[in-house]
Amino acid sequence: MTQGASLVSIRDLTVALPPGADRALAVEKVSLEIGGNEIVCIVGESGSGKSIAAHAVMGLLPRGVQVTGGEILFDGADLLKLQPEAMRRRRGRDIAMIFQDPMAALNPVVAIGAQIVEQIHAHRAMPQTAALALAAGLLGQMGLRDARGLLKAYPHQLSGGQRQRAMIAMALSLSPRLLIADEPTTALDVTTQAQILQLIKTIQAERGMSVLFITHDFGVVADMADRVAVMRHGRVLESGTAAKVLGEPAHAYTRALIAAVPKGDNILPPLPEAPPLMAVTGLTKRFRRGGFFARPATTVVDAVSLTLKRGETLGIVGESGSGKSTLARCVIRLLDPEEGEILFDGADLARLGPKGLRPVRRRIQMVFQDPFSSLNPRHTVADIVTAGPRAHGEDARLARARAIDMLRLVGLNPEAMDRLPHQFSGGQRQRIGLARALMLKPDVLIADEPVSALDATVQAQVLKLLDDVRRQMNLAMLFITHDMRVAAEVCHRVMVMRHGQVVETGPTRDIFTAPGSDYTRSLLAAIPGRARLEPADPAQNIRQTME
Amino acid sequence: MSFARRFFSRPTALIGFVLFAAIAIAALLAPLLGRGPFAIVGMPLLPPGTPGVFAGSDVLGRDMAVGLAYGARVSLLVGIASTAGAVGIGVLLGAVAGYYGGLVDDLLMRVTEFFQIIPSFVLLMVLVAFLQPSLGSAVIGIALVTWPQAARVVRGEFLSLRSREFVAAARILGESDARIIFTQILPNALPPIVVVGSMMVGSAILTESALSFLGLGDPNLLSWGSMIGGARSAMWVAWWTTVLPGLAIVVTVLALNFIGDGLNDALNPRRRQ
Repeated sequence: MTQGASLVSIRDLTVALPPGADRALAVEKVSLEIGGNEIVCIVGESGSGKSIAAHAVMGLLPRGVQVTGGEILFDGADLLKLQPEAMRRRRGRDIAMIFQDPMAALNPVVAIGAQIVEQIHAHRAMPQTAALALAAGLLGQMGLRDARGLLKAYPHQLSGGQRQRAMIAMALSLSPRLLIADEPTTALDVTTQAQILQLIKTIQAERGMSVLFITHDFGVVADMADRVAVMRHGRVLESGTAAKVLGEPAHAYTRALIAAVPKGDNILPPLPEAPPLMAVTGLTKRFRRGGFFARPATTVVDAVSLTLKRGETLGIVGESGSGKSTLARCVIRLLDPEEGEILFDGADLARLGPKGLRPVRRRIQMVFQDPFSSLNPRHTVADIVTAGPRAHGEDARLARARAIDMLRLVGLNPEAMDRLPHQFSGGQRQRIGLARALMLKPDVLIADEPVSALDATVQAQVLKLLDDVRRQMNLAMLFITHDMRVAAEVCHRVMVMRHGQVVETGPTRDIFTAPGSDYTRSLLAAIPGRARLEPADPAQNIRQTME
Repeated sequence: MSFARRFFSRPTALIGFVLFAAIAIAALLAPLLGRGPFAIVGMPLLPPGTPGVFAGSDVLGRDMAVGLAYGARVSLLVGIASTAGAVGIGVLLGAVAGYYGGLVDDLLMRVTEFFQIIPSFVLLMVLVAFLQPSLGSAVIGIALVTWPQAARVVRGEFLSLRSREFVAAARILGESDARIIFTQILPNALPPIVVVGSMMVGSAILTESALSFLGLGDPNLLSWGSMIGGARSAMWVAWWTTVLPGLAIVVTVLALNFIGDGLNDALNPRRRQ
């Protein structure tokens, strides 16, 4: 990489949080060089201060958060000493930014073209037609078809990937020298993520600009970075070239982060033949929209069949809109499927009414994705964990005693019993949710994206816990995820879904080493960091020992 | 920051609370004044400041101060009791409509709209006249015309809360619908209900005053509205006979609105800067 002289140099940057926050400094004496024509990744978990550091460069800190020391030299001039008006002129023209959620960053009531033109006009006088032509050209360069038509489109009419491309087009409209990308692909599907990452790399190389890329994902770092800085608790732990940090990490935390990236080097072999505990056949779910004047229904789950053995984990993998979550919610009868049967222990769950379902409920339990919305904020941990047994008429004192044991089992201190959910971290909340589900001693556990809201190191711990619990309790587990890497860690078999239909089902190692469909191949190819982080031959690493 | 500190950090909330507390204390201590509200204590239309009747006397020579204190009892009682009734109906119907959605929701919302499109004060007058004017009929009547407001708020909260994952979790655990509605969702929907409730007390007091002014109040009780109604012929010669009870109404309703605003800010930590 030809590395120009330093474009941005951040020196001893210190940013204070408002009083009452969980720590005094968001960013503490951070120093970082961004050369011309290179991609620098800041990688860290939530709360590491990586995002605050990036926003400080842009001069866009949240209210109450203040820079208290250090300097940010951009081409020799200290951005922190600029007057607000001078900083405004640089924003967009010299430094541009793209965000995690393009839907929130774009104005929903203004057409895409008008938003890009507004950005251009804020800095440069130009006739309207010329500005629109420039905008259309940029959208075309972003790989969007029918750029002229898109100028008139509103954000909600675009897909997530298209929106992010439009955001990037807008950011590039004034040819900035530095592009700050704050987790730009975190909200996207894996195949879209791969395309956007490739796009950012291509335009960076073409334009010779600098990119400051914020991410939590070491896979993305491996794909993108020329240089890397690892942050934790507001400090830079280590920084250097990508090859050095990824190849010979100096800090134990960096090694832990890299180790926590699921690599698929520990694939479980399929279980021996056994009669299924649950068999789903031809399950179909349609959604009707509107009440009285109903529009035609969309089929979200289309004739899906699957089997699940005792002690087995079946991964259901798919991108957003594939129907995987709806399938799970039909199986557990939170939704009513239109067609198909769910045979479980001799009964067809699809036919049972609310009365008939109640006794079966306790045998099929669920763990949710969002650790914040899945626990009632006004109930104590004890209330939450004992809710199931109490609903089924178990004595409250007995349930409480069992809950204490259960909290220990999921790795929580029983002192947690009388605290409220907001006092726990995301990973701890997932453990509480798991304890709640396990209190009913279920036969089947449905896990709907249980780790996708968690940091990498916490993700690894929760995955291990799920696998341990599955073994100990001989659970059958339906594991829904969008992340192939995660599926490879815990699943015996994997079912790939797309547009509500099953693309293929097979033992995990077959899906990964010899996928039977182009779609699965494209999913595997889109896994970030595959080239640099994965072992050369995954087949070598398949667990030899049978359980 | 604790709830109480957040609440009292707003000056208007503090003022509202102090005013409301003062009125409530006056209402509670009214019997200690030693005379009933209808007792004639001297010449009619004595101006305020006259020895023995510091708030003056009304057209029949009754002590205005005693009348105001007893009026506060009626106003607060009607305001709080009718709001409790309205919120009770509103929570029940709103919760059922919001939780079940679909046809149940459509049906209950049409009923709610039926009550909302009828001019509420006309309906109230008909109801009270039909039930015979009394304290009880005022409470029932006001509750019956104001519950749609509470029902709409509760329904909105339930609609958004029922899609939260902890509700799905409760269903999977096998909790009954009633248990989910009352122990899972309702506690999370309380803040806006409390806020709307405090505002509704204020408007119920206004409505009761209007009823009494028109002579549809309880004939055996003196209320602020009936004081104004009874004194309107003397309005031009003795301002205090109408201004003082009017002021009492204004201050009470204002205090309740201040309290409502304060509760809104204190219960919605996201809004606070």
